[in-house]
Amino acid sequence: MNRLPLLLRIAANAGASLVLAFLVLPILAVVPASFNKASFIYLPPRAWSGVWYERFLADPEWHTSLVNSVEVATLATIIAVVLGTLAAIGLRRIDGRLRMLVTGLFLAPMIVPVIVTAVALYRSALDVGLSGTILGMSLGHAILALPFVVINVGIALRAVDDNWLRAAAGLGASPWRIFRTVTLPNITPGIVGGAIFAFITSFDEVIIAVFMAGYASKTLPVKIWESIRLEFTPVIAVAATVMIALAIILFALAQAFSRQTGSRKTGSPSR
Amino acid sequence: MTAAGTHTQPKARAALLSRRHAETAFLLGPALVVLALLFVVPLARLFSLAFIDPAGPFATFGVLAESAVYRQVMWNTFVVAVMVTALCVLLAWPVAYVLSRLEGVWFGIALYGVLFPFWISVLVRTFSWMLLLERNGPINRLLMSAGITEAPLALLFNNVGVLIGMIHILLPYMILPLYGAMVRIDRRLLLASDGLGASLVDTFRRIYLPLCLPGLAGGATFVFLLSLGFFITPALLGGSNAITLSMLIASFVNDRLAWSLAAAGSLALLAIVLVLMGLAARLLPIERGLFAR
Repeated sequence: MNRLPLLLRIAANAGASLVLAFLVLPILAVVPASFNKASFIYLPPRAWSGVWYERFLADPEWHTSLVNSVEVATLATIIAVVLGTLAAIGLRRIDGRLRMLVTGLFLAPMIVPVIVTAVALYRSALDVGLSGTILGMSLGHAILALPFVVINVGIALRAVDDNWLRAAAGLGASPWRIFRTVTLPNITPGIVGGAIFAFITSFDEVIIAVFMAGYASKTLPVKIWESIRLEFTPVIAVAATVMIALAIILFALAQAFSRQTGSRKTGSPSR
Repeated sequence: MTAAGTHTQPKARAALLSRRHAETAFLLGPALVVLALLFVVPLARLFSLAFIDPAGPFATFGVLAESAVYRQVMWNTFVVAVMVTALCVLLAWPVAYVLSRLEGVWFGIALYGVLFPFWISVLVRTFSWMLLLERNGPINRLLMSAGITEAPLALLFNNVGVLIGMIHILLPYMILPLYGAMVRIDRRLLLASDGLGASLVDTFRRIYLPLCLPGLAGGATFVFLLSLGFFITPALLGGSNAITLSMLIASFVNDRLAWSLAAAGSLALLAIVLVLMGLAARLLPIERGLFAR
């Protein structure tokens, strides 16, 4: 068992390679699809062209949806990061049953199926006039993103020794000053990681957005969702490629950040 | 600190304590208020709609339970979730095993292969499968040119497409906990079993498998619960031929404006998820760290 027979080892490696290929390669099919010259998608394209990229950029509806997505994701990220960071710090100050209850509540948006959250939010948004607005979608996405921020900041907070806070308080620092000079510098990587997660969560989110979007407030995924059902032209593949590109950039950013903090950790006073 | 605290005047101590409570309330308050207003209250308001139907407080659940069509939808949702979970367990096994044995660059490449799909939108991944599984798409053309099939297979707008798409999206949730369990297995145990003359099958059955079980159970629970509530992938890859509970809820709202039925369906879905989660946490040897993470 410690050393599988050669044949089994080859089988395991071949199986793993095939499954990994199944995980990664199909995602990339949209990239060649976006370079089709024809008005329908054929894979691989019989004639290549960038004409659908021009269409994507020229069409005000696609253009607006991209801008809307960035707006919604930015607003949702700000809300989730501010609330989630405060909450993660607050969670460390309570314990026992109360802590379990509050943690459960903060993580609940991850557990409740999104379709249920989306229908509930849509119903209430209709009643208070937030349906079809950028703000309504941002608030919904902030709720979904909140657990990621609480988790990320919570993990970063484990590196902050309570004794540092006591020492600072003993030396007469105000709570705000302690937060600014001791807590914040140590949890910044967690906050940035949570913010990147929050942004991509909102940017990729379809279900809440499909329910909440109005005619002028469609996000990019909503526009893709509608186009798949209406026209199915290569311009959808262009939009999908844009989304993949953004995801790769954010992924690289998150990796760079976690590596940077990895090297910084060795120099931190807690060692 | 505690020694100093006992010497402080009781009044000053009480003031310090209440100030600390106020700080904690200030930290937790905003998130709690926003969650209450934007999550708990909307959910409660939606669920209340299930009970105020003119036909009686539980009439909506009766409609859902008695209609043959809706029962078929629930059954289909369950079958799809079971099949997705079973196939994910099967496919995750070699990847998790190889990951637990790799080191260096190859480990990094394999791990990125598992993590990369997480970052790509579910909608984009589902759209990709629509292109690949089409009637005249590359997979059908490949199968036909290889002589495996004469006419193009129907891979889209049925449960085949739904299974492929959902496995693709949920597989990493199975691989990572399984890998986590495998990498922590002490290899000396396997060596000892080997040295004591146990066969490969025996060592697997009596040592390796039981040690993998916490990761396996955790991953399978996660995948199963996520599949029950899946919406985008079944809606696009299954279409009207493979309706799941989440699609039914959406159609109650969008096509029929039947809010009370949508509320009852949502409440049923959430209740099933919560009950199964509670059961899994009690019965299965899942590591607590998984949900706490």
